Formats: sequence, C-alpha cells, structure tokens
Amino acid sequence: MSRIWAVAKNTIRQAVRLKTVAFLVLALLVVLLLMGENASGDGTLKGRLQTFVSYSFSLTSLVLSVFTIGLIVYSLTNDIKQKQIFTVLTKPIRRSQLLLGKLLGVFILDFILLAIFSFTIYAIAELTPRFINTSKQELNRAKNEFFTARMKLTPQKVDVSEKVRKMYQEMKKSGKLQQKFPNMSQEAIIRILTWRQEQWTRAVAPGQELIWEFQNVKPLEDAQSLFLKYKYDVSVNPADLKVTGAWFVGDLRQIQYGAKVQTPVHEFARKELIRTYYEEEVPSNVVADDGYLAVGFLSPPLNITTILFPEDYLQLLYKADTFTANFIRASLLILFRLTLLACLGIFAASFLSFPVALLLCLAVFTTAHLSGFVMEALDPATHDVGLFYSYTIKPLIHLMPQFDKFSPVKFIIPAQLITWKFLAEAFAMLVCIKSFLLIILSLCIFRFREVAKVVT
Amino acid sequence: MDYAVETIDLTKVFSDWWGRNKIYAVDDLNLKVNYNEVYGLLGPNGSGKTTTLKMLLNLLYPTKGKTILLGASSSDPKISARIGYMPEESYLYRYLNARETLNFYGSLFKLPSKIRKMRTESLLDMVGLKAVANRPVGTFSKGMARRIGLAQALINDPELLILDEPTTGLDPMGTRQMKDLVLKLAKRGKTILLCSHLLADVEDICDRISILYDGQIQTEGKVKDLLRQTNKKQITTGNLSDTAIQKIKQLVEKENAECSISSPVEKLETFFIKTVITARKQRKVTSGAVADSENAIADFLVEEQKEELKRAEILDKLVSTDVSTEQKAEPAKAEEAVKMEKTLVADRELLENLTKLPDTSTAQPTHAKQKAEPVETDTISAGEQAKNLLDQLTGEKESQNDEQQKKGNPDKDSEK
Ligand SMILES: Nc1ncnc2c1ncn2[C@@H]1O[C@H](COP(=O)(O)OP(=O)(O)O)[C@@H](O)[C@H]1O
Ligand SMILES: [Mg+2]
Repeated sequence: MSRIWAVAKNTIRQAVRLKTVAFLVLALLVVLLLMGENASGDGTLKGRLQTFVSYSFSLTSLVLSVFTIGLIVYSLTNDIKQKQIFTVLTKPIRRSQLLLGKLLGVFILDFILLAIFSFTIYAIAELTPRFINTSKQELNRAKNEFFTARMKLTPQKVDVSEKVRKMYQEMKKSGKLQQKFPNMSQEAIIRILTWRQEQWTRAVAPGQELIWEFQNVKPLEDAQSLFLKYKYDVSVNPADLKVTGAWFVGDLRQIQYGAKVQTPVHEFARKELIRTYYEEEVPSNVVADDGYLAVGFLSPPLNITTILFPEDYLQLLYKADTFTANFIRASLLILFRLTLLACLGIFAASFLSFPVALLLCLAVFTTAHLSGFVMEALDPATHDVGLFYSYTIKPLIHLMPQFDKFSPVKFIIPAQLITWKFLAEAFAMLVCIKSFLLIILSLCIFRFREVAKVVT
Repeated sequence: MDYAVETIDLTKVFSDWWGRNKIYAVDDLNLKVNYNEVYGLLGPNGSGKTTTLKMLLNLLYPTKGKTILLGASSSDPKISARIGYMPEESYLYRYLNARETLNFYGSLFKLPSKIRKMRTESLLDMVGLKAVANRPVGTFSKGMARRIGLAQALINDPELLILDEPTTGLDPMGTRQMKDLVLKLAKRGKTILLCSHLLADVEDICDRISILYDGQIQTEGKVKDLLRQTNKKQITTGNLSDTAIQKIKQLVEKENAECSISSPVEKLETFFIKTVITARKQRKVTSGAVADSENAIADFLVEEQKEELKRAEILDKLVSTDVSTEQKAEPAKAEEAVKMEKTLVADRELLENLTKLPDTSTAQPTHAKQKAEPVETDTISAGEQAKNLLDQLTGEKESQNDEQQKKGNPDKDSEK
C-alpha cells in the first residue's frame, strides 16, 4: 500500500507541477462565477437557478472528465515514452501497484477538484436568492421546487402480459389473427396488443373512477405539502379541449371500509385542458401513518368522452430529503463517472500510445452520453436483424458507461430525489462492475507489456 | 554453482509488426557473473548490451531462454529490492527536484522515512548535488542527471548493481568517482554488472569482461589475463641521473632486450582533476555539480546495516542538541580525530580541498557554504559536523588517501 501511495503522490505532484490543476481551478471558478451572475433562464428565480446549476454542473462534469482522461493517459504513456518507468519498475514494485497508484492519484485529485467545484456551485446557488430582488412568491416557489429533493412516485404499471397471451391464442384459434393483423410477425402483434391493453388500464369512462395506491410515502418532517402532477388525454376531443375531473388524495381505505376518518382527504374538482401538465399542492397530513396514500380520480358523467391517461400521466411528488444532501449525492454520481473514466484511461494507456489512447477514451466518453439514445433507437428497430446484432453491437452498447442514465443534472433540475438505491445502482454499475472489469483487463494487458519496447 | 547473474540461451529477436525484418539483438547468450565480481560487458554500439540488461530486469521479455538474478527472477519484488539499476540515460521525472526524486525512489523500497532521509542526504552529498537539491531535475545538465541516476540506483544499498554505460556523460571527476565507487562496493562484497564501450573505464575496474558483438559473446575472461603482455616488462623509478640511465641501458642490452627510457606522462585524468581543484580554490560557487565531497562515498554504502540505524539515532540526538553542547560532549574524541588526521600521509594535501574535515576549533561548519537554505543551516550543520566526526571515528574517510595511490598505480588487487 505504501508503494501505491508513493506512486499516487507522485502522480498528484505531476499534475500540480505541470500547472494544469491551478489553471483548471482558476479558469473553471471564474466561469462558474460569471455563470452565477449572468444566468437568467425564464426570468424567474427558479428558472435562473435551474439554468445556472444545469450549465455549471454539466460544465464541471465535462471539464473534469476530460481532465481525468487526459491526465491518466498522459501520466502512464509519458512514463513509458520518456522511460521513467525503467527506473520505477526495476524497484520492488509490482506493475499492478504502479497502475493502481496512478489511479489512486487521479482519484484523489478528482475528489478534491470536484469538492471545490461542487461547493462553489452550491454556494452560488444558495446565495443567489439573497442577491437579487424577487417576490415572496418566487422565493417560495424556488424553495418548494428547487431547494428540495423531491421523491417522485408514479403508479405501478399493470401487468397485462398474461391477458395479451390469452388474447393472442384465442385470436389464433379463431383465425381472426390473419384478418386483423395481416402479414405481421408474432412479436409485432403482441407489441400492439400489449400497448392497447396497457392503455385500457388507464382509461376512465364517464361516471367511472380509478384509484392508484402508493406505499412508503415518507415526506420529510418540515415538508408541508405534497404535489400531485397530472395530465389528461382523451379518445375523442371535446370542443373546448377541456375535461372535468374530481380528485381525492388521502387514505381512501378509511372511506372504502367505513372506518373512522383519522387523516383528512384532500378533494378538488376542476375543468382543465387536455394534454397539459397541472400541479396541485396537497397538504402533507393526508398521508396515513403507515406511509399509505391513495389517489382517486372520478370522471363525472358530464364528460362526453372517455379519459385516456397518457404514459407519465400521474406523479406524486414530495420533499423527501434536503437540497444539500441531494446535491452531495449528485456530486457523487459525477465522482463515479470520473472513476470509471480514470479506469478507462488506464486501460487504454496500458497498450496504446498517447494520442490513440486519448482518442479511444474520448470516443467512448462521447458514446457514453448517447448510449441511452442509441439503445432506444437500435433495440426495437433491429429486432429482425437478429443474431449479428445481438451478439456484437448490443453487448458493446450495454457495456458503454451509460452516463446519460446516471446524469445528476436530470435530478437536480427538477429537484428530484436521488435515492440511495439509485446511487447504489450507479455505484454498482459504474464502479463495481465496469471500472473493476477495466482495471482487471488493464492489469492483465500491462503485465505482458514489454515496457522497453518502442511503440512506433 | 550459484551465480549472481545467469542467462541461459538468452535470445531476443526484434521484428516489425508483420514479423519480418528480424534483428537478433541478443543471440543465445550464456552469461555467468559470480557473486562479488565486477563484470564488464563490452561491445560496440548496437551489439546488444542494453537489450541484455533490459531482459535481466524484465523490461523486455526474452524471445527464448531465461534469466536468473540472485537465484530468482527480477520480477519478484523480493529480488528487485536487492538490485540497483542505472539506465543508459537518466530518465527522471522532470518536475521533481533532486531530493524529492531520491525520496520517491526510496519510498518504493518501503524504507523507513528516517533512513530514507538520511540516505537521500548522504547520496546527494556523495554525488555533489546537495547545493542544487531543491532544483527540478528537468533543469539539470546531462551529467548532473546521471549523478541523480546513480544515486537513485544506490538508495537501497543494492547487492547487485547493474550499470548501463555508467561513465558516459560524466565529467572526469564523476568518472573517477564512479570507478572508485565500483571498486569500493566490490570490496564490500557487492556484485557489479556494467556494460560500456569506454575501454579505459572497464580496464580499470573490471575483474572479468566479455566482448559482445552481434548479440554473441566473442571473448570472455579476466582482464589481467586478456591484457598481460608476458613478453614485456616495465620498471618505474624516481628521477635518475644520465649515467645511471646509461648503465641500465647497457644492462638491458646485455640481456638482448629492447629498451626505451622516457619520463612518464601524467594521465590526463589526474591533470584535469588537479586543474579543477586549483580553480575551485579561487571560485567557490558553481551552479553545476559540486565536487566538494566527491570522493566521500555515502556512509550507508560502506557500513553495516546496524551501524546505519545506530547512526540514525545518534544523528537524531545530535541534531536535537545545539552546536556548543554537542562539541562539549565529545571533546576527547574530537582530539583523537585531529591526531589521526596528523598521521595521514602528505599525499593527502591534494585531496584536502575535496573533503576538508571540520575544524573542531571553530564553530563554523565547513559545509555551510553549500547551504542555500538559511533556515536549516544550524541544525543540519550540527548533524553534518557530527557525521564527519563519526566518519573519522569509524575511519571511513581514511580510504580517501587510497585515491592518490590508485591514480599512480591502479593495482586494484591490493584494494580487494
Ligand atoms: N525496440 C527495438 N526494436 C527494434 N530493434 C531494437 C530495439 N531495441 C534495440 N534494438 C536493436 O537491437 C540491437 C541492440 O541494441 P542495444 O542493446 O541497445 O545495443 P547496445 O549494445 O549499444 O546497448 C540494435 O541493433 C538495435 O537497433
Ligand atoms: Mg546501450
């Protein structure tokens, strides 16, 4: 360990003495300050904060990513090119210790730099409301919708696969299949059927009701309200594009079973536009002591059309943690990402020269940001391409770091809670599995590398 | 039979990516270096010397055959902990200064920080870079970098020292010192494997040599055996009168042998060193390597491990006390040292400039002029002084007078 530490210290020294760190810190701090002063967003305080944090967080992440890749690749390839590695590896240090030492050094630097930048962003965000004139209302909105960490609950998807399977079998037996879905593969038919059935589970005819139940609703002590976000869609457009809905939020078990009402039920009814999100503030005392909460919806008979809730139609939001805690977790997400990039860098440098290794890392880095998009685009479209795709490109794409999935900005902007579970998942995926694999791979490769051989 | 270094059918073939253009850099090499031997690997440029050393150290992997160092492979950290390697050029981290460099390498050996610090300081002293120890090594001249390269190879007090062209890039003083160092280490039972194409250096110090060409050993043997001209004899005398010379000539001619008589020419090396010393008397500051303690080989290299630890403790104590009490504490010993000094031969005058002993009558330490850092001067000089004293007490620096004799007549067997 002391040998790894010696190498780590040397790597840190290298970065510091090459003045890269000082330059990086200064430049980024200046940019962050400028951003904090000039961000405007949509003109509201919340918009301004969102814009600032979104840009500054993305920028920090980008700069540190490139810095990490550059430093680790440079550090190892330069040692080999300038041959300092001759005098190092002939000392009683194992090659694996050298690589791990470099990784540790870069990790420590990343940690420190990220701490500095995150803190700066946090401080600027916290101070912004004090330095600009805003109404009490805007302040309140920023407090409720930005300086918080809201848990987002969505209704569970109803499993329709069994029903769809039966339907398919019946249609096949009765020979209706060919008539209804001419020239379509079984897969395609099932997909269509599933989509339809799922939509039916979200449909409410006039005079009918629908209830969604949530467990484990645990707002933070000081949270006074929950937020219900919803959106309508319809089967037939009404003339004014509006529908009426009556909502009940609370422990509906009490009503159903005729027990004594212990917690209040929040009710409201409104006529509202379709295909538009609405947000309703609900007092937090509607939640039952055991964390149970139900949301009921009644479509009054005066609606002429069946209401079809689209996907993402209903969200229950509540403050589940503080902004600070959430911000720290968001920074940790970036740290995981940097760790993975460092491992990627050491892997590339273990067998490539500086420019090639750098290029490889940057290519992976870029694809990683698009991996979700690529997967979505390719996965369904290429169902018929078959074997070649499933055994080559698909696993490769899934091996990519998937940074977009674990993007912290995605959470901080809508003030959405980063759960410990999600953080653990990110840690497992980015660090435990992918980083670990890369390290093992680079150790194996580097072990057999002839470091004195000139790479031409 | 056990060897310090052994290669068995060692072969290295370099080829391009397609496996064409094969170069046999090393070809079926069977090298055997005994323990406690100075072994020279000679050969013209490109004959495979460096490649051999790199394979010994696992920086290159053999195409065929294998290498054994100290009874095992050098990839084992336990083995490499006992090896010192100086590559053909000093490949150093340019952003570290000299002291940090040695400290870094020391930490790779897991040396306790106390010992690491002490060795760093004495090595810096030994290679004459103490005055520039806080400068980044990237600013060093080639020779200065070589000196750090040497110090780096010695930080673990290695049993086996592998030197790749040790004297290239060094000034004559450095060369001289390098050779002395090798001899001294050999005397202490270390094994040294060096490769070079500077024949003069090898001739002075190697027990055995082999001449490599095209990756193959052409000749191998003891230097003396290889070079002795049994059909000639050489006589060296003091200044003789013309008549005496005539008499000798006649005597030799009677034996029917050829004879030529002339004054011996001083070796350029000796002459150079003299000149530099004279110059130094006039100008005391240089931005280059200081040869002030040029020949003082780092203490830990010439003493036992236990003593080194003991010394570390003593030094610790001395450093913590101030100069005056320290002097009072050992007046008797200091006097003894002065006496010893007086008994040393007159030849020594020349060398006194190099390693002036601390004058115990004045509190002013001799090394003060080297110190750039004013803050540390007092404490270090106290320790420094004590160290020099200790040197005397252990008689280590006495070996410096050998210097003069060696220059005249490098009879190194008497040395061992
Ligand atoms: N990495 C390499 N690739 C190809 N050829 C090499 C390589 N390293 C050394 N050689 C060749 O091997 C031969 C021996 O080189 P070397 O051992 O460095 O010689 P020297 O005896 O001068 O130290 C030379 O012909 C050199 O060109
Ligand atoms: Mg060479």
